[in-house]
Amino acid sequence: MFAVDQSDPLSVANYRYQTQAIGRRFMMKSRNVLLAIPVAGLALLFGPVAHAQQEAVQIQLLDLNGTGATGTAILTPAAGGALTVSIEASGMTPNAPHAQHIHGSASGHDFMCPTKSADTDGDGFVNTEEGLPAYGDIFVSLTTQGDTTKTSGLAVDRMPTANAEGVLNYERTIEASALPAGTIEHLKDLHVVQHGIDVNDNGAYDMEALGESTFAKSLGVDGIPEEATNPATCGMVSGAAPGSVPAGGVETGSGPTSGVGTQTLLLSGGLVLFGAAGTVLVRRRTRRQ
Amino acid sequence: MDSATPVEITIPAMDVSSPLVDLGLQNDGAMEVPLNGQNAGWYTGAPTPGALGPAIIAGHVDWDGQPGVFYRLDTLRPGDQIQVRRTDDSTATFAVTSVQQYPKNAFPTNKVYGAIDHAGLRLITCGGEFDSSHSSYRDNIVAYAKLVNPRP
Repeated sequence: MFAVDQSDPLSVANYRYQTQAIGRRFMMKSRNVLLAIPVAGLALLFGPVAHAQQEAVQIQLLDLNGTGATGTAILTPAAGGALTVSIEASGMTPNAPHAQHIHGSASGHDFMCPTKSADTDGDGFVNTEEGLPAYGDIFVSLTTQGDTTKTSGLAVDRMPTANAEGVLNYERTIEASALPAGTIEHLKDLHVVQHGIDVNDNGAYDMEALGESTFAKSLGVDGIPEEATNPATCGMVSGAAPGSVPAGGVETGSGPTSGVGTQTLLLSGGLVLFGAAGTVLVRRRTRRQ
Repeated sequence: MDSATPVEITIPAMDVSSPLVDLGLQNDGAMEVPLNGQNAGWYTGAPTPGALGPAIIAGHVDWDGQPGVFYRLDTLRPGDQIQVRRTDDSTATFAVTSVQQYPKNAFPTNKVYGAIDHAGLRLITCGGEFDSSHSSYRDNIVAYAKLVNPRP
């Protein structure tokens, strides 16, 4: 059940070429924002802008256990309370699946990535059970499909696979109903851990390097190499950005000379719009100014 | 600082103090702007001022022929202070790091809105040449600032 099929072409094809959502957003073409008046009226139909926390957090994935792997994860709140998770990592064990999870807590407990001192058994590696006290329990399993709860934590057949160059790309939107309560509100308290290190560099997760995974065994799963479950990267929130990035520039001027009528073009927002009638009101108000 | 809705912005170097209105996105994805010249607005989709990430505050350079709240934004110099009072009664104090001018048709979205590893603030207004055929300034002025004092 935990077989590591390194030549799983499907997984590789599926995930190798996924582009990052944030990249797409940032590449959005800038454009002018002049709106025709009738469009402004439409804002009413869509209602006012929600006041929920909409910011996205960026997580810098740093090498753990000397793997040299690094990456970036971005957690972006999506419509309806969903969460889009984008991960791009490099330096991962090539052609191998990597179990990955969001760890942490939505109840204020301050978990963090473990340091080398967490290696209590002194084998040179911070393994999963040694890391857990620091980075907390599995909060969300970042599978490619299906269940995302803690129970899928070792479902390597549904975890993303690094390509031949060791690059792992992942993107998935997890619906609100599948997220633990408080996820969106506590994005900054969460972090991401990726697992899987080919310690003896023989191209496979095997028992010869570090033996059997005591962590998997503790969950009742036998025969899993420790190489497959040892953490490869861990990252905490290192940055934040708007969850919805505005397109283009900002229309913040009506002109150096009195330009009545200009404002009606500029003010096509959802704040004080009453359709056509509102437009007239705005015009009058600006005339009086 | 924790997240808290901003209430008021004060910029002594510009002799400006303004309540902050909420700004969202228009249907075309562009940011809304305040409905009058004298109020600045904060973009509710971004981190709140003082919290990790870039907070965004926009104001008009002019309005119906009169100077707007950010009329003198381009006169800010590195080190000038900006105070943002918040609903939790804390005041986030920022220091200007740079002031830049960009054509709206080449607005550096990533630089202005992209993820940053500190609590930052971007003040945005219009600038450059006024294109009367489009009733729009060609450029945006963006003042970048960094949190220097999270006074509780």
